[in-house]
Amino acid sequence: MTNSIAEIEDSACIFITGSNTSACHPLIARRVFRAKEKGAKLIVADPRNIQLSRFADVAVTQRLGSDVAMLNGLMHIILKNDWHDKRYIEERCEEFDAFRAVVETYTPDKVEAITDIAQADLEKMAELYATNSPASILYAMGITQHTTGVDNVKSICNLAMLCGNVGVKSGGVNPLRGQNNVQGACDMGGLPNVFPAYQPVTVEANNEKFAKAWGKALPGKIGYTITDMVRAMIDGKLKALYVVGENPMLSDPDQHHLVKALEKLDLLICQDIFFTETAEKADVVFAAVSVAEKDGTYTNTERRCMKVNKAIDPIGNTLDDWQIISKLSTAMGYEMNYADPEAIFKEITTVTPSYAGMTYGRMGLNGLQWPCPNTEHPGTQFLHAAQFTRGKGLFHAIEYLDPAEMPDGEYPYFLTTGRMFAHYHTGTMTRASEHLDAEQKTGYVEIHPEDAANLSVNDGDTVKLATRRGEIEVPARISNKVKPGLLFVPFHFAENSANILTNSAFDPVAKIPEYKVCAAKIEKAA
Amino acid sequence: MDFKIIPSVCSYCGTGCGVLFQVMDGRLVDTLPMKTHPVNEGKLCIKGWNLHEHVVSDKRLTSPMLKKNGHLQEASWDDAIQTAVEKLKAIIEAHGPDSVGVLASAKITNEENYLVQKFARAVIGTNNVDHCARL
Amino acid sequence: MQEQVREWLEQGKVDIFLGYKKIQGHPLPHCFTRDNLDETDDLIVGNARYSLEKMATKIATEHKELKIGLLVRDCNQRALNVLYVWNQLRPDNIETISVNCCPSKLKEHGDCSYLEPEKAAPLKMMIGIDNNMDVKAAEEFGQEDRYKRWMYELQKCLKCYGCRDICPVCFCKECSLEHTDLIATGSVPPEVPIFHLVRAVHMGGRCIDCGLCEDACPVDIPLRLLYRKVNDIVSDVFDYKTGTSVDQSPFNMLGEEVTLEPKPI
Repeated sequence: MTNSIAEIEDSACIFITGSNTSACHPLIARRVFRAKEKGAKLIVADPRNIQLSRFADVAVTQRLGSDVAMLNGLMHIILKNDWHDKRYIEERCEEFDAFRAVVETYTPDKVEAITDIAQADLEKMAELYATNSPASILYAMGITQHTTGVDNVKSICNLAMLCGNVGVKSGGVNPLRGQNNVQGACDMGGLPNVFPAYQPVTVEANNEKFAKAWGKALPGKIGYTITDMVRAMIDGKLKALYVVGENPMLSDPDQHHLVKALEKLDLLICQDIFFTETAEKADVVFAAVSVAEKDGTYTNTERRCMKVNKAIDPIGNTLDDWQIISKLSTAMGYEMNYADPEAIFKEITTVTPSYAGMTYGRMGLNGLQWPCPNTEHPGTQFLHAAQFTRGKGLFHAIEYLDPAEMPDGEYPYFLTTGRMFAHYHTGTMTRASEHLDAEQKTGYVEIHPEDAANLSVNDGDTVKLATRRGEIEVPARISNKVKPGLLFVPFHFAENSANILTNSAFDPVAKIPEYKVCAAKIEKAA
Repeated sequence: MDFKIIPSVCSYCGTGCGVLFQVMDGRLVDTLPMKTHPVNEGKLCIKGWNLHEHVVSDKRLTSPMLKKNGHLQEASWDDAIQTAVEKLKAIIEAHGPDSVGVLASAKITNEENYLVQKFARAVIGTNNVDHCARL
Repeated sequence: MQEQVREWLEQGKVDIFLGYKKIQGHPLPHCFTRDNLDETDDLIVGNARYSLEKMATKIATEHKELKIGLLVRDCNQRALNVLYVWNQLRPDNIETISVNCCPSKLKEHGDCSYLEPEKAAPLKMMIGIDNNMDVKAAEEFGQEDRYKRWMYELQKCLKCYGCRDICPVCFCKECSLEHTDLIATGSVPPEVPIFHLVRAVHMGGRCIDCGLCEDACPVDIPLRLLYRKVNDIVSDVFDYKTGTSVDQSPFNMLGEEVTLEPKPI
């Protein structure tokens, strides 16, 4: 997030798209409800009718995967009405003219044809966003998990800059991170192209800096993303995989393809707190400890690095993840001797400029928000205040592209996937939790009453749901949350795994798979 | 009798709510929201309120395991580490460091993620390190 | 206060004492013990409110003979009374130190809200229910308006169960809110308005108006008002004043004069 969670309460307009916030980030939805009650306008654009749609000043259900067209359409209307922030654009941004030329071709009737959003609704959305300042945009995987994920995000940035909403309190571009420490995993360099704090591995000076800090010559070539790794496994180039705290068997697209890839490995090492579907396939399994058994830090979606504190001793014959990695490393011939997580954190601050001013002591229970470059710095509530990190804000001219797979005669339905409120990701943690399991015990497919009637499917009937990748049997849930022609499956449940169905086509830049759109067919199970 | 309240952070979604773990006689018995935490101000969602349940679940992995004769069996830490190291070394020897991939995690701590990528880069010698941010 | 707790622990009047301690700037509940007497110097009242009596109940179920001391505000005391009459805690095993919890001079009025209540936001005033209202004022809305306002509030529910989980007097082994024949599972908001009405019904004769449920509600639903209403009914029909004393038992309030026959209309 460019801005902070608490700031949302004081936004004049909140635009939520591709985030079922009240189900997936309830304590952020709280700020949305409070902002709304204080007088903020609320725009919700989601292919499904989500809980927050009921509270919106305007709520639309755009056709799956049509986000670039929708956003370009909104910007078209804003420009036509002269609602854009000319001074902000002039002073703080660049490449506006090329962007404008593309956006001008996205007329409301063209956009309505692509997105299914009525022109009157488009007009209202544009007006609310552009004329209520500061306006905050919240989004999640509904924007990013597309073959055009990067285009979607860039379009959101275009919209925010167009109305001068980046670098202001209660405004901003605010991706809501799905996992407790996905922000930290990125910040710490758990990516194939960058060291900690996004320092590119291909920059000679960075490579030298880390080589010196770690006393070892380092590779300068960008590595494989998770998406590349699967392909490299199939091709026989990747022979060993060490998986820490993940369950790709359920979380990766096109499960059948992934199983083939994992079976080609010579060595699969899994490190987890549960015996996951992935661990079942492993050669070596390391048993790690949970959040309650460890010390360390997590960085949340608003860049707030916070301390977690050990509450109980490790359960069973388990070890902290840092201890396992240290043992493994030392046995590999590279000594890792840390006394405790704090010693590791101290090393992090010496090579990670955005964390340089943080200490466990300074963090207290409130944490510190990066960038925090020195020990006097209070941390940063919102980014890009005086100028953008890169200098000028760059407008991108972006054309709409169809998703990789669209419904056709054989597979006539749109299928999308996501989370439901009581479960989390691959269900590894939540399905082991009695009260969460009680809330939802198995998977389901949401289907519109009209579609259900056409297929003679009653609520709770088992249906066969198939795509070009595979098929699952799953109970039907008849619901007005989805429009006719749209199906939704949560991906938490191994017994009817949504990712047997999903398309592994991915964004060419971010390598993010298109979980949110594919074509499907459905029939009543025999 | 020993009863402790330990402040911590929820490990489900990316919101990062402050929680209080209640620990009785060394056992984790309950979770409460931290009233004065800047993120959640004394409120939690259904997952946060039940955070302790996955920790104490009898489905937890409680021992390292090794595959023997096609089946995973409980093993000692020394054996598990040693087996992993031997196999890793052999693969690196035969196919080079880029034949190894490492997946860091959006669930573990910053300290642990830092070590995972350091392990991939400095110990294995590859930039093949990623995590599930995209998934 | 600190000295008294130290004395109690030293003399064995209590085995543990539940109060508050400031940890890194945050007032957190804390269990003071004989093994760490000097810690009693750090005992504070704290400007945050947790259900210490719920912790005491949890501890007492496993350590039946343990003598537990705790800091009580008026609301904690009312909760203790309820827990005593429902046999969840034994009064002989509980020692309390009372603290003045109302900074206002309106000590006699029943709202034990030591926190200055937050002023309701404009839209909430317009289409929802102001959490600071009393039952009478909330009933003055016309029927249709009142219905819409409550439906607005209840549709915000995120089904966190925080209202139940934080409640000092929610101790049932089986909870009606989880009874799948009563309330369907698997979606948010939970069935409107059944979920909250079921809970409200179960708060009759239980709720001690501490307000912790509203403190815990992520979406500011005026739960307290609902429970006050059901307690008003309990008070009118049974003359049972929840939490005010330990003399009135809920188990024998249906005397000979009261029947459950439907009243003639």
